[in-house]
Amino acid sequence: MSVVIRATALAKHFGGLAAVDDVSFEVEAGEIFAIIGPNGAGKTTILNLVSGLLTPTAGRVELLGRDVTAASPAQRCHAGLGRAFQVVQPFPEMTLRENVLVGALFGTPGLSRADAEHRADEALEVTGLTALSAVDAEDLTLMQEKRLEIARALATKPSVLLLDEVMAGLRPAEARDAIGLVKAVRDQGVTIVFIEHVMPVVRDLADRVLVMDHGKVLTEGRYAEVTQDARVIEAYLGKEDAA
Amino acid sequence: MSADARVRRVAGTAAATRVPWDLVGLVVLAIAVAFMPDLLKAFFGRASVSYLSIATNALSLSILALSWDILARTGQLSLAHAAFYGAGAYTTALLVKHASLPLWVGIPLGGVAAVIFALLLGAVTLRLRGIYFAIATLSAAEVLKAVVHHLPTPIAGGNAGLNVPALFRPEFIAGQMERWEVAFLRNEAYFYVYGVVLLATVLASILVQRSRFKHAFTAIRTNEEVAGVMGIRPARAKLLAFVLSAVFVGMLGAVEAHRVGSVLPEQSFSVATTVLALVTPIFGGLYTTLGPIVGALGLSSVQETLRRTFSDGYLIGYGVVLVLSILFMPRGVVGLMNGLMRRRAKPAAGAPERTGEEDRP
Repeated sequence: MSVVIRATALAKHFGGLAAVDDVSFEVEAGEIFAIIGPNGAGKTTILNLVSGLLTPTAGRVELLGRDVTAASPAQRCHAGLGRAFQVVQPFPEMTLRENVLVGALFGTPGLSRADAEHRADEALEVTGLTALSAVDAEDLTLMQEKRLEIARALATKPSVLLLDEVMAGLRPAEARDAIGLVKAVRDQGVTIVFIEHVMPVVRDLADRVLVMDHGKVLTEGRYAEVTQDARVIEAYLGKEDAA
Repeated sequence: MSADARVRRVAGTAAATRVPWDLVGLVVLAIAVAFMPDLLKAFFGRASVSYLSIATNALSLSILALSWDILARTGQLSLAHAAFYGAGAYTTALLVKHASLPLWVGIPLGGVAAVIFALLLGAVTLRLRGIYFAIATLSAAEVLKAVVHHLPTPIAGGNAGLNVPALFRPEFIAGQMERWEVAFLRNEAYFYVYGVVLLATVLASILVQRSRFKHAFTAIRTNEEVAGVMGIRPARAKLLAFVLSAVFVGMLGAVEAHRVGSVLPEQSFSVATTVLALVTPIFGGLYTTLGPIVGALGLSSVQETLRRTFSDGYLIGYGVVLVLSILFMPRGVVGLMNGLMRRRAKPAAGAPERTGEEDRP
């Protein structure tokens, strides 16, 4: 299997704080890869380093075999990286379809307008948003916004999609829909990397799990394996149970 | 699959029935510019000379305001527009003084000078956002002003400025016209030049709004980080906007130098130019082609009416009108009109169902 994302000894320091320290992992094509860990473990920082919103203090990021450590977010997007944000951030002055069209228009340089519109409509259909195309993005419910966040990222035609806590704030029924959506996206051949707090979601979705704590990798493996790890139970699950 | 087909059909019919209001507006504007001098002459006779001059000032303000707005669409509020204006003005003045080229050449070269300056300034300042960008650009006009001020007088005229010859010198032909008609012909010729520059600016604005740059600019304005992740290159898009925003103002500065007859450091790099460039689109409505033009025509009318009513201290009244309109029309005249039309279009449609969205994490 080919490696889609390879992070090597990644580190990010904010002043004296090491938000991410010596983190290495590989994501293989076609898998659903989860990053879990308590608050402040550095999960979102990792996604920011991979998508180019932050420059690492040390280490390397490779995307589909290319070193992109110094590449801009736009260049990484063009290389096949999609990203949905934790705090949903639609462009409020655009309709839902225009939001998705932005991803389609700019995700692939040189794509014609007609092809971009077609691609945007495909992304809307996959995410079940077609009926809402003309709605202003500021008038959406949270679940619709989360779908929009994914639709917009999909419209850039990513090889790998980073999802930052897309289930947060959703009701159980909505979360089940969202799980179905993520699986449908993977079945289209898109590799998925996601951050998640809700453990049943991780269990249902993840092929492999990377557990982080205090900016470092605690362990990595299948869900059943990592959840038996004493360090993980102590750092993460134990705290959840106690709460 | 059927849903897909349905979407495409709906999109197709919508496109077929949509009126291209932007192009209609461009044609209307072109017709208005073409007939305005004759109309004014027919209605006002001798007084049309000054009316034509007022109309030319309104065109000038429209060019400035619409240019400023093109950059504002990317979220960058420029305080550099006096620099582009002055760069254009001094370019043509210096060409007249030091090169024997046709006078007309100074106008496009004024635009070129503004573009070069925008590229240099943009490369340094466009990575700054918000108030930091505004302050960095504010210094641009001051720097250029200091440069022309301190260059040796034989080169750039120093504090006394340079004379710039008129583009048009219509001749009085006894028996065929009245004296005032000479002034009318001169003002008419300038009016058409301004009209052409404005039409070019409007066309550029419309092309931006019809292209993918409209989406890029809006995305960068609302969230530059997300825009980058969506594949937009913010630095490039903003530099393009800056160049488009500068070129017509440089040409305007050049034309105005010929119309006024001189360039002076204080006058060519005036803070008033910078302030008008941003106040006018805010008054008319930001991020549209129509808004800045409505703002320019509206503010020109208000100013002229006040000036004629109270010859002294009319600027105080002008300031009051501006403050009140910004307080009560935060989205400008065009925003107000859109709001009224939308309310009339769907009187039953209530507010969005969701409330308390501010509380969301």
